[in-house]
Parts: sequence; structure tokens; C-alpha cells
Amino acid sequence: MTAAIAITEVVPPRALPTGPGAPLEVLDDPLEFDACTRWETAADGRQLAESRLQLSGLYCAACADTIEQALQAVVGVQAVSVVAATQRATVRWDPSRTRLSTLIRAVQAAGYDGVPDLAAPARELRRREYRAALWRLFVASFCAMQVMMFATPSYLAAPGELAPDMRQLLNWGAWVVTLPVIWFAAGPFFRGAWQQLRRRRIGMDVPVALALGVTFVASMGATFEPGGVFGHEVYFDSLTMFLSFLLAGRWLELLARHHAAEDLERALAKLPDTAQRRTAAGDWEQVSVRRLRPGDVVRVAVGQAFPADGPLLQGHTHVNEALLTGESEPLPRGPGGEVVAASINVGSPVLLRVDRVGADTRFEAIVAMMRSAMSQRPAGARLADRWAGPFLWAVLGLAVLAAAAWSVIDPSRALWVAVSVLIVTCPCAFSLAAPAALVAAAGGLARRGVVVKRLEAIEALAGVSHVFIDKTGTLTEDRLGLRDVRVMPGLARAAADCQARAASLAAWSQHPLSRALTAAGAGSMADDHWTDLQELPGQGLQARDAHGRCWRLGSWAWASEPAAALPPPFEARVWLSCDGRVEAGFRFDEVLRDGAEQAVADLRSLGLSITLLTGDDADRAAAVAQRLGIDDVLAAATPEDKLARVAAAQARGAAVAMVGDGINDAPVLARSDVSLAMGQGALVARSQADAVIVSNRPTDLVLARRVSTRTMRIVRQNLVWAALYNAACIPLALVGWLPPWAAGLGMACSSLLVIANALRAAR
Amino acid sequence: MDILYLLIPLSAVLVLLILGVFGWAVFRGQFEDLDREGERILDLERVTVDGDQGPLVGQPEESRPIVSQK
Amino acid sequence: MVSNPSPAVPEYCDAPVRMFALVAVLWGIVGMLVGVIIAAQLTWPELNFGIPWLSYGRLRPLHTNAVIFAFGGSALFATSYHVVQRTCQTRLFMPRLAMFTFWGWQLVIVAAAISLPLGMTQAKEYAELEWPIDLLIAVVWVAYAVVFFGTIGKRKVSHIYVANWFFGAYIITIALLHIVNSAAIPVSLTKSYSAYAGVQDAMVQWWYGHNAVGFFLTAGFLGMMYYYIPKQAGRPVYSYRLSIVHFWALIFTYMWAGPHHLHYTALPDWAQSVGMVFSLVLLAPSWGGMINGIMTLSGAWHKLRDDPILKFLIVSLSFYGMSTFEGPMMSIKTVNALSHYTDWTIGHVHSGALGWVGLITMGSLYYLIPRMYGRTQMYSMRAIELHFWIATIGIVLYIAAMWIAGVMQGLMWRAVNADGTLVYSFVESVKATYPFYAIRLGGGLLYLSGMLIMAWNVLMTIRSGKVVSAPIPLVAAHA
Repeated sequence: MTAAIAITEVVPPRALPTGPGAPLEVLDDPLEFDACTRWETAADGRQLAESRLQLSGLYCAACADTIEQALQAVVGVQAVSVVAATQRATVRWDPSRTRLSTLIRAVQAAGYDGVPDLAAPARELRRREYRAALWRLFVASFCAMQVMMFATPSYLAAPGELAPDMRQLLNWGAWVVTLPVIWFAAGPFFRGAWQQLRRRRIGMDVPVALALGVTFVASMGATFEPGGVFGHEVYFDSLTMFLSFLLAGRWLELLARHHAAEDLERALAKLPDTAQRRTAAGDWEQVSVRRLRPGDVVRVAVGQAFPADGPLLQGHTHVNEALLTGESEPLPRGPGGEVVAASINVGSPVLLRVDRVGADTRFEAIVAMMRSAMSQRPAGARLADRWAGPFLWAVLGLAVLAAAAWSVIDPSRALWVAVSVLIVTCPCAFSLAAPAALVAAAGGLARRGVVVKRLEAIEALAGVSHVFIDKTGTLTEDRLGLRDVRVMPGLARAAADCQARAASLAAWSQHPLSRALTAAGAGSMADDHWTDLQELPGQGLQARDAHGRCWRLGSWAWASEPAAALPPPFEARVWLSCDGRVEAGFRFDEVLRDGAEQAVADLRSLGLSITLLTGDDADRAAAVAQRLGIDDVLAAATPEDKLARVAAAQARGAAVAMVGDGINDAPVLARSDVSLAMGQGALVARSQADAVIVSNRPTDLVLARRVSTRTMRIVRQNLVWAALYNAACIPLALVGWLPPWAAGLGMACSSLLVIANALRAAR
Repeated sequence: MDILYLLIPLSAVLVLLILGVFGWAVFRGQFEDLDREGERILDLERVTVDGDQGPLVGQPEESRPIVSQK
Repeated sequence: MVSNPSPAVPEYCDAPVRMFALVAVLWGIVGMLVGVIIAAQLTWPELNFGIPWLSYGRLRPLHTNAVIFAFGGSALFATSYHVVQRTCQTRLFMPRLAMFTFWGWQLVIVAAAISLPLGMTQAKEYAELEWPIDLLIAVVWVAYAVVFFGTIGKRKVSHIYVANWFFGAYIITIALLHIVNSAAIPVSLTKSYSAYAGVQDAMVQWWYGHNAVGFFLTAGFLGMMYYYIPKQAGRPVYSYRLSIVHFWALIFTYMWAGPHHLHYTALPDWAQSVGMVFSLVLLAPSWGGMINGIMTLSGAWHKLRDDPILKFLIVSLSFYGMSTFEGPMMSIKTVNALSHYTDWTIGHVHSGALGWVGLITMGSLYYLIPRMYGRTQMYSMRAIELHFWIATIGIVLYIAAMWIAGVMQGLMWRAVNADGTLVYSFVESVKATYPFYAIRLGGGLLYLSGMLIMAWNVLMTIRSGKVVSAPIPLVAAHA
């Protein structure tokens, strides 16, 4: 008989420890706060730290002031700056006079919270990107307006009214004002085109760069040598206006992308993990997990993740490996039993000896697999890219043909007809329509609970034919649910009574099955007073009620003791007994997420094949698959197995989407054409996926698919429009019937129409 | 319209100067965290400057939530 | 005059603010009084009394200069010095130089008040002052720019509040416009000839003239609006982002609206057309600003009921919107063919001047002046309410009279008989205009009385308050 371990920590019912509960002092470990800190030397030679914190709980701009004042009041703080929009604080402080943990406490005392901002490098990059994009957009649009003013007289003047030298003055002015546009604003397009040409691909930037370049050079020629080979007409206004539209489209794209990235970063920010390590003297010290070494002994509390691989030294518990393997049932472990880093301790506090840390753990091995899988992801060809190539060749060919033809008919117009052909053929559909539609779609999805990180994923999702879905944590919630209660035959007691009593007793335990019993609700029990509570890991609970009767809740052997050796009359997971007489049995089920059945049915009706991938055992997988109506199941799969299945599907030509939440899903998420992670999933899954279903609703997966197909339909509409428009205008330009202002105007209107259509994707 | 020989180069130079000012503003972070800047002038806790001996006529409202919070 | 800050607590330098605010009220009365006089003279020409210094031709520029530069200018100085300090949380740069701008500007005004009735004029609209005064203006203006931008340079708040962008743009642009337009060849101390001639001069003049309206009377006062409306309403600007976009959008289109003053003149047709097109384009950014200001009260419209200062501020924006709609409409050549040289133009100017500039200035001064004397409110709120209603009725009378007169004149002047002769002689149109001049005089008198009520209120406020120095709050140093 194993010794009963009295419950030393009486946790009030339903108060579960949340997260690792790291004490703040871990932040004072230089290893930890170095990542978010920059060092400066003050005028008097002191070393000052400038640390960046990610704040939470700000709901308005005035909160930023409150936090600034709270931090400013801490002795040793030199300067504080809080940016309300991104909920970030930068603090300059003197490490000899205060500590980072003190700063965070000040923030908490003010009613908010803060963690080190490790995303600062990413944020800095985004800030630079934002500023550069805003600068370019401003230069282009401001100068476009000025150029338009210089160009308007030419449009408005009656023939002969504008003296040639006056016209040249205006053209010169327009040229001067166009220079900053070419220099500052057009850079990305020229660079992009150069990169694409070097790789011998025709990307979307090539037609744009060509149009800009040719127009500028020809207009400049016409300005300085009117009547020369470049003719009289200048097109600085078309050039700058076109560029403004393009940059406006890219600007919107950037805003959407940054917004999504910030939301996700905020969700991922957390305090560094800590562990309680035994010192040489036998005390316990709180250290960052990064300081652990093989041979250390650590104490792991209930609810904490195991910080390293290794055997248990002391204590019996259950570990939840769902995120690592998909195993939905917590597994019992006793002294000598091996636990894996990142699995969760759900039973009782234990002691662990550290065998492997960091890169050597199973967790890190999975992450490494994920990285390599990402590099093998099939490169999706974007729809717009596929059209751009032939389009460009056709346009170039036509322009050359036009120049050749006109050089015979009327040489002075040859070049300008060719240029008109290039200008009027608007590449805006490629450069504008696709990004605008994707951005609008991403915005609409974000409002409904799906945050898209990579815009191309929307396009890829529309083309997916096969969906792989994880079970534990994705289709099911991370808990067990009570399926039914069966009273022992011949016993005159209501099932509800038994359930109420069991729930009342179970409230004192953190075991997943106990939590399920409590969650099922019980009504109130008249007699709620328990004494002599005991819990035996692997067996069950025992307590005495107000009448002195001994109740037991747990395995059959435990509950039916001492009248053992009889087999249970029916199948049940947990049994309730009073003074050795078994009263009822309880059966449990995985709890499906709301809408899971609906989502699967919808996906099938959209024509997608569905496969259930899980690391859980075959029985449980089959049960869930049956409830959901999924035929294809791969159970007991390691991450390698899952990866192989997905690769095989891709090899057969299927475009694959993966939906998962666990660490073990990360490699598959990296490999599939499109990946979605649940909002409640593991950090590494959420950071790897193309989109995060923050609402955790499986039906939102269907929504994402529907939005993608609709968005791609809109993109195709725009491409068709572009084709029709070009088909109409190019002949006109070839024949010389399209005056330059009409070409520019046509391009502007076409761009606007395309953007307006693209914005429908947001609905 | 010979005067345009003065006005047009003048306006071209002005455009370049304005670009310079805008560039200075963008790269010095003048266009970031805008929602808060609109509210800053109303911050009563800091502003004791107007020699107020009583409450302001227009009582400051509770700040509205930042739009970007959605 | 300039208080020395105690070394312990730095203080704002409000002496120039206070003084400019008070003279703004004074010059407002003077300028409007001259306006009433010349309105009376148009109605009853005998009011010349045959005295050269009282002749309409000489008093009119005195009126325009007084209301624009003395009244409007002093108000802009006062509010820009006040706003730049409060939003940058720092003391004025070179306070003595700021006091120089005050005395220099008063000297300009006095010199104008003397020289214009004496007939010394360059004969350019809103730029009549002769070359020595022009030089003085340039010197004062450079000093103004130094003080203003110097204060921004030593700001403690790193973000530059949007109102300061408007003030800064107005200061720089006016400097440029003034220097270019006032280029002249002096012949004697009191006489000079413009460096430009003929239609070239006309182009420069209206490039200056319209941008003087656009930057002096619009951008500058928009800076005022963006500070005092939020402060009085206790709510932030409706969309701060929009206010920044609004600023840059206005800057976009500043240059080419000028020719709309020269429709159907010797200016080339294409130049006139360009002016028309861009005047129409200007409508959008103007209305953006108006909407932004008015919507600041969104969700708190009830405040308008009880707060007369808010009434001034918000109603001024309505007039701003009206004028910035009317203006582009009048820039259209076909409309202009009717309105040019008629009193409709006067009506348009005054709806902008009395409605927008006047009311926003009054509202802002009503906020500012008590605070310069240690109070939060003017002596009498009821007097403010009374002022508001009198002023508004005055404006309505004024502009309605001028609209009717203007359209009537335009129609009368262009009416031709079947044989091509004019239906009406010029004097007949003058006669027909007479009653409207009388009504306009009534409107102007009401507006002036409102100003007198304001002066009384200001005096009572000063008597019951005292000058207190305002300490600059400690600001958390910003990274």
C-alpha cells in the first residue's frame, strides 16, 4: 500500500494556478533583462539601462500618462516614454539605484501590467518600415499635386495660347518636382524589378518600373529638347499620380500587416520562465530556466510546465503532454518516471532532476524539425504573378511593333505612341488589386476572430484541397467532460445525488477527471462538510463526511476496497463508494469545441478532404472522428508521422492546409501550404502559423476559407477588368487616337475602380 | 506672363523645402502615437498653468478608447 | 514688464500674450469703427465732409489693414505665443524679443493709422503700406519667427501639437509673401513704385492677396481653433489624424488659387482657368478642417446650449464652411462673370471675416483673457451670450444685404437691350443698392456694439482679477 500523501496545499475549489507564476525577481537576472535592455554611459560615467517593456491593460490614451507618472516616481528612473498606440514603454534607469522588478511592480501598482519587450527588434524594424513608407507616400502624392498644377495649364490652354517658352518653363518646373519622386519614392519598384529580373522571373514590379522609367526619361527628353526625338509631350503628371496610387496601396497593406503583427506580439509577450532550484545548502532559489544545467534538482509546482527533460526524483503526479504529443489523457508518473520539457504538471508538486536542457530536449528537437520543414514548404505561385509575365511580354511586344509601324508612317510620333501603349496598359490590376483585396480581406477576418499574419495565405487557402486537422486542443477543448453517471444496479439512489456528492468531493482535487466532475455542475449538496481529506496519485480521493462515513472517489480497485477482486459490472472511469460499497460509476469524454461538427460538415460540403491527425491513441481518435464524421484518421502519430502524411499529400499534388495548436503540430504547420493555429495553442504553434484563430472557434476556419475564395474571385474580376480595359485601350493607343491625358486619366480611373472592387473583400 | 519665371522656380524651391520639413517630421517620430497627442493638451493633472483658481468651465471628459485597440 | 522667473519654478512668459490680447480688443473696435464709418460714407457720401483724411478711398485701406493686421494680427500673436508655450511646456524663447514684436507691431499699426489717411499708399490690396513700414513689418516678422520657432526648438514635449504646424506655416508663408509682393523701388521716404508692372504685378499681387487670406486669415486662425475648441469643450479634437492630414492637404494646394481674383482681366485665360480649378480643389481640405472642429463636440452637443464661448467657436466654423464653399463657387468663371466687382465679393469677404475670423478670435480671447488674470471665467457670461447674438445677427444682416446687392448689381450691369445697348446706367445700379448699404451699415453697427460689450467685459474682468504668473509643470523627460 503506497503511503498516502496528505494534501499539504489545500487549494480552494476551482482556484487553479494560472501559468508559471514566475516571481518578478527573475527579471533582475542579467541574463533575462539583457534581452530587452540597451546600455548607455551617462555624462558622469554611470552605466544607465534603457529597457523596453510591453504593457497591458491600457484602454485609453490617458492610461499612458498614469503609467508614465508611476514609473517616473520610482527612485532611480531618469526618463520614461510610453507609446499608447502600441502599449510599449521605454524606461531609462540606473541599475545601481533600482531594479527592473521594482519598475514592473510600479506599473502593477498603478493597475496595469508589464513584461519585458522581447519583440523590440521586430518592432524597431516595423517602425523603420512605417516611416520609410509614409515618407515615400508623402513625397509621391505631394509632388504629384504640384506637378498637376504645373501640367494643368497645358491641358486648359487653347492651341497657341501658351507660348512655347512658357510651356517649357512649366515642364521644367514639373521635372524639378518629379525628381524627388523618382529619387525617394520609386526606389522599391526599381529595386524589386531588378531583383526579379536577376532571378529571370517577371514579377509585378517589372511592368511598373518599366512604365516609370520610360515615362520619366522620355518626358525629360521632351522637356530639355522639345521637338527632338522624344517629341513635345511630357507625362510627369501621369507618372507621379500612378506612383502615388501604387504607394497608397502598399501603405494600406503595410498598416494591415503591422497591425496583425502587433496584435500577435502582444498576445505572445510573457514573463520569462523560472524554476525553483535546490541550492547546495538545501534551500530553494528561483532562477531563470536558462540557468538550469544537467544535474540540477528543481521543484515543479502544479500547473507549471516542466523546464527540462529528466526523471522525477520524488512525488507522484500526472503530466499533460497534449501539446507535445496530442495525448489527451494526462499520464501518471512516479519517481523514476521520465517527463519531457514543456509538458504540464497537473497532479501534485514533484522534484525533477534535470538531464537535458535547451536544445537537447524533445521540445527543441521538434522546433528544429519545424525550422527545416519550413524551408521545404512548396513555393506558391501567386495568381497575379502568373498573369504578369505573359502580360508584360505582350505589352512590350506591342509597344515595339507600334514604334516600328509608326517609324514608317510618321517617325515623330513613333516613340510617343510606344510610350502611350506602355502608359495606358495599367499594371495596376496586378500591383494594386491583389494587395488591396488581400488587405481588405485580412481586415474583415481580423474583426471576426481570425488574425492573418501572412497575406499570401489568404490566396493559398482558397486553393486548398485537403485539410489536416489536429484533434486535441483544436477540435476538442483542453479538458474532459462528464459523459454520464450510472448508479450501481439494485441501489435506490438518484444519479443526481451521486453526482453531487462526487463533485463536492472532487472539488478538492486538481486531477483532470476531478475538474471535469466539478465542471459538470452538481447543484448544492446539503452535506458539504468533508474532513480527513486524502489523495493518492494513481488511485483516488478519500474523505469523511459529517456523519463519519468514509467516501472514496477513484479507480475501481480503490473505491471497492476492501471488497476487491470483483470485476466492475459496467465500464466506467471513476467510481464513487461509501464505506467500501460502490454507489456509482462515471464516464468521461473529450469535450468537442462548439461548432466542431458544423465546421467539419461545412468543410466537406465545400469539397475539401479532411484528415484527422493526432498523437492520441487510436480508440480516442476513432471516437472523436466518429462524432465528427471524419473518415480519414491518423492516430498515435509522432510529429514525424504527421509530417510524412502531409508531405505525401503534397507529393500527390494536393494543396494542404493544417490546423493545429500543439508544439507537435509546429513542423506540420511549417510544411503545409497554409497553416492556422488556435488562439489557445502553444506559443511556437501560434508564432509559426500563417493565421491564428484567436476566437478558438472551428467554424471560423470555414469562414476563413469562404472569405479566401470570395477574395480570389474579386481578384480575378479585377484581372478580367484589366484585360478588357487594355484590350479596348491598346488598339486606340496604337492607332494614335488616345491623347496622353486620356491615357493617364484612363489609368487613374482604372486604378480607382480596381481598388473599389477590392475593398469589397472586407465584408 | 513673365512673372512666372519668378513664381514657378520659387514654388519648386518651396516644394523641396516642404519635403525637407516633412522628412524631418517623419523620421523624428512626429507622426506616431497620434491618438494620445490629441488628448495631451487636456491633461489636467499636469496642467496647473492657467492660473486656475477654480474648475475649468468645460470639464474634461473621460478619454475615449484608442481606436487601434480593436 | 517681463517677469523674471524664480529660479526654483520656471514660469511661462505671458506678458506679451496679455498685452497682445488686450490690444486685439482695442484694435478690433478701432478697425470696426472705421468700417462703420466707411459703410456710412457709402450710404451717405456727404460724410466725407470734403476732408481728404476722411475720404473713403483713404479710409478703406485703413479699415482693411486695421481689422486684418491690427485686430487679427494681434490676436494671432497673442494666441500663438500662448499656445506654443502651453503645448511645448516651455517658456518663450527670448522673451525680450517677443516684447519687441509687440512694440514693433504697435508701431506698424500706428504708422498705418497715420500714413494711410494721409494718402501714402502703394495701392496694392492688403499691402498698401509704404516701404518704410514694409521694412518694419519684415523686421518684426523675422523676430516673430525667431521667437516662435525658437520656442518650439526648446520644447519639453517631443511631439509638436498640430496647432503649432498651422502657426508655423502661416508665419513662414506670410514672410515669403510679404517680402516678394512688397518689393518696391523707393523714390522718397513716403513714396515707392512696385518692382513689378502691369499684369505681372496683378499676378504677384493676387498671389499674395489670396495667400494672405489663405494663410493669415485661415491657417493662422485654424491653429487657434485646434487649440481653443478642445480646451473650451474639454474634449480632444475629433480626429487628430485628420487634423494632420488636413494641414498637409491645405499646404498642397496653396499656390495656384490666386488667379481667381483676375477672371476676365488681362491675365491669360489659361492662368485664370488654373486658378478656378485649384480653388475648387481647395474646398475639400477646408471642409475637412471644419468637420474635424465641429465634430469635436460630437456626443456633447448639449454644451452648446449653456456655453456661449463654445457658441462663438463652433458657429465660427460654420461660417468657415460656408465661406470655403462660397469661395470656390465664385471662382467658377461663369459665376464670377456675375459676381466680379459687385458687392457679392464684399459679402463673401465679410462672411469669412466677421463670421470665421471675428467669432473664432472672440471665442479664443474669451477663453484666454480671464486666464491671464488668474480667473477661469470672464466677468459676465451673460454679456458674452449677448455679444454672441448681437454679432451673429449683425453678420447675417451684413451678408444677406451684400448678397442681394451683389447679384442685383451683376444682373443690372449685364442687362442688354435687344439692340445691344445697356438697359441700366451705372448710377441706376448705385441708386438701387442704397437700401442695402443702409442695412449693411446696421449690421456693421451691431457687430461693433458687440465688440464694445466685449471691451466692457474685458475691463471688468481685469479689474476683478489679478495678474498671476503661471508655473510650468514638471514634465517627465521623454525619451
